[in-house]
Amino acid sequence: MNPQELVQTGIQKAEEAGADQAEVFFLERSTLTIEVRGGRLETLRQSKERGIGLRVLKDGSLGYAFTSDLSQSALADAAREAVANAGYVAPDHARTLPVPSAIDPSRAQYDPMISDVPISAKIDLALAIERAAFAEDKRVTKSERAAYEEVEYCVAIGNSHGLEVSYRGNFCGGYAWVVAEADGDAETGSGLSYTTRFSELDPAAIGREAGREAVQLLGAKPISTQKLALILPPQAATQLLGILAPALTAEAVQKRRSLFAGRLGEQVASDVVTIVDDGTLPGGINTSPVDGEGVPTQRTALVSAGVLRAFLHNSYTAAKEGTRSTGNGMRSSFKGAPEVGPTNMFFVPGKIRPEELLAGVDKGLYVYDLLGTHTANPISGDFSLGATGILIEKGRFTRPVRGVVIAGNVVSLLKEIQAVGSDLRFYLGFGSPTLLVQPLTVSGE
Amino acid sequence: MLLTRSDIEVVLGEALAGGGELAEIFVERRRTNSISLEGQRIEKVNSGLDQGAGIRLLAGESSIYVFTNDLSLTGLKTAAQRAAAALAEGKGTRRIIRINDAGEAPPAPVRRGEIRDKAAIVAAAEKEARAAGDAICQVMVSYGDSEQEILVANTSGRVATDRRYRTTLAINVVAGDGDNVQTGYESLGGTQGLELLALDKVRELGDRAARRALLLLRAKPAPAGRMAVVMAGEAGGTMIHEACGHGLEADIVGKEMSVYAGKIGRRVASELVTVIDDPTLPGKYGSYGCDDEGTPAQKTVLIENGILKSYMYDLEWARREGKSSTGNGRRQSFHFPPIPRMSNTYLAPGNTHPEEIIARTERGLLVKRMGGGQVNPTTGDFVFEVAEGYLIERGKITVPVRGATLSGNGPQALMAVDLVGNDLGFAIGTCGKDGQGVPVSDAQPTIRIPELVVGGLL
Repeated sequence: MNPQELVQTGIQKAEEAGADQAEVFFLERSTLTIEVRGGRLETLRQSKERGIGLRVLKDGSLGYAFTSDLSQSALADAAREAVANAGYVAPDHARTLPVPSAIDPSRAQYDPMISDVPISAKIDLALAIERAAFAEDKRVTKSERAAYEEVEYCVAIGNSHGLEVSYRGNFCGGYAWVVAEADGDAETGSGLSYTTRFSELDPAAIGREAGREAVQLLGAKPISTQKLALILPPQAATQLLGILAPALTAEAVQKRRSLFAGRLGEQVASDVVTIVDDGTLPGGINTSPVDGEGVPTQRTALVSAGVLRAFLHNSYTAAKEGTRSTGNGMRSSFKGAPEVGPTNMFFVPGKIRPEELLAGVDKGLYVYDLLGTHTANPISGDFSLGATGILIEKGRFTRPVRGVVIAGNVVSLLKEIQAVGSDLRFYLGFGSPTLLVQPLTVSGE
Repeated sequence: MLLTRSDIEVVLGEALAGGGELAEIFVERRRTNSISLEGQRIEKVNSGLDQGAGIRLLAGESSIYVFTNDLSLTGLKTAAQRAAAALAEGKGTRRIIRINDAGEAPPAPVRRGEIRDKAAIVAAAEKEARAAGDAICQVMVSYGDSEQEILVANTSGRVATDRRYRTTLAINVVAGDGDNVQTGYESLGGTQGLELLALDKVRELGDRAARRALLLLRAKPAPAGRMAVVMAGEAGGTMIHEACGHGLEADIVGKEMSVYAGKIGRRVASELVTVIDDPTLPGKYGSYGCDDEGTPAQKTVLIENGILKSYMYDLEWARREGKSSTGNGRRQSFHFPPIPRMSNTYLAPGNTHPEEIIARTERGLLVKRMGGGQVNPTTGDFVFEVAEGYLIERGKITVPVRGATLSGNGPQALMAVDLVGNDLGFAIGTCGKDGQGVPVSDAQPTIRIPELVVGGLL
């Protein structure tokens, strides 16, 4: 059976099993990962996986079941389980399945080149990443890992309201972790890039970036505790977005787990800050025609010029508040119901080139990496993060720094953002230009 | 039967057709149920079936892994051909593969029950937790069970099946008193069915989680500084697992990322310290019949009376180092290749009564529950949060404290252990490594470390 037929069969079996309404989500996902080390293939992983998730409504309660056995009997079993499970769930009037709406199929991003290029050429590409890192500087001595990676997916969604949609997409990328050594010191540098166009993947750039970072950090030492402006390049600023994203979902707000709860319309960031989630973004890794429950994706301004404007919704959180889904019902697999999550979330860039931002800093820290972002408290926004980077004095890089701690609160940090660069760059689903943050205390020795 | 003998032979033959030294197939079928409760209502009930197979090909130091959930012979042959093509050495010869019959794994002797019974358990846990006090403002309960049936076979003739039935229950309680908000967490898990979750045990678990949250509301900020730390047996073996166990996994050792590299036969801990990994313990969360490469589960003494005896091996690292697998090759599911992992890891009990350990401590911190933590495997440096802690003053437990962290160095702490109790307490968890989570348990008796750095509230 093709995906659409499977979906229709699933809906039919669920209705036969007693569901008032049913939704079937089909996902087929193929991946390829090629890791090389020291000029040789180390591991190659390839996968192809398919399965369906059944969401049913029965007497106002939601039940769920999934299966990767797609035989008729397994589909019927899953349908019966989903209906039976609904019997134990508390009824909730906000549990609804979305009605069909017009979609733009051109939002599906599929580059045939990603699957057409032979594996041997992809191994060469991973090797080229590693070579470029070594070529960057003699002091780059070891490669911990260099890799090429690709993902291809096919999605089909249907429900009892007649919603019927399917699309496919793919993306690819590469990364490198390398070590530079000099005078008894060893430092790690990384480079990473993902794209929806194979021809845009630049292995040499990934390798060079990793090599350069490792070499620039050589000789890094702690500094004394002092007030420093922070320059957060895209790689560090996107880590910050990772902390913020859960708090910008309506789910976190409704469960009173968001530091932004009750603050719509308030100034929560400095007026240079605009944060957008855009599931329609051309070239975005998470761009698609619809979300995980078939609602069209959209561009949502969450923070505009520093003012909190909106939260992300799926059908459920939207129904609870009597509003519309923002197309953020995200599903990473067929094994669970859609949650609320970002698609392509980013700080909207400004007009200042990053070099100009740097040139204007009297005393500051250019942050390469933030450590321990998962320990940040998502409810209070408090964080205490280790940092490595380069000290800036009078607009120039002077010496590498490690072992310092930046502690604070995400919301206060948002208010301290003084300028936003023009160099928007994405790391998978999160994007940011370089940010300049007003001086704050960096704890060192 | 997950796969017939003749199908296995065909698939393994295809996999080796492009060269390579060893081909392996891992087939898995897993049924799961989960229930979650929040806001005094059961919010989700999910049941599922996931099945698939992973084909691994080892060639020199390269490894190829291909997985699929198409278990038809055509689907598996395609996967095997992809693996062979990826190796692309072109010098393989088609070999005839012969293996023995795997047979079928016997049914797990557990009480399965219906969703109705499981939902009742979840409700009972929440009710008990909520009854613990007016300050309880949120209770979250999650139940999960899984029945995993596996078959693994490789071209060196190994073939095995196993069936693992696991059950878990976790309770998270939030208590609030104005701006002061505290949480309490408890969990229980085993390779058991509903017999693990007798109603009185479930109620006790709910009550304990709630009482911890309430206790923390009136706890004082922890003092900071160097002091003696007594880790109660009931705290479980988080520290042993994180700060010592990972450094004894053969891949970490082989990649020269372990402080224990090259130290077999040498003293690495106090002579009171014996550390064991044992997946054969009946009913424990990290137990199994054979590992995910088909090696029979076995008890491995890692450290004996302070002397380093063995690392934990899977087949690949055993082959590289000229050793035998210790039955520690595990994987999260058919989506992943196996790597060396712990199972049930514990510090063996000693002779001292736990009360005596406290009585002999002039001043220190008693840790009754560990929280999260971070460990640098290369150096053994660790930081752990203390979820439930008390001050010990003049040999007596005095006041509860909150916000304490323990920082130190795993190997140094084990070298310094000066008292080991005659009790043994287990904790369960999902251990993450290389992006794979596997169920484990860890345990320790009450132990005393004469000096650790205790961090107080910031």
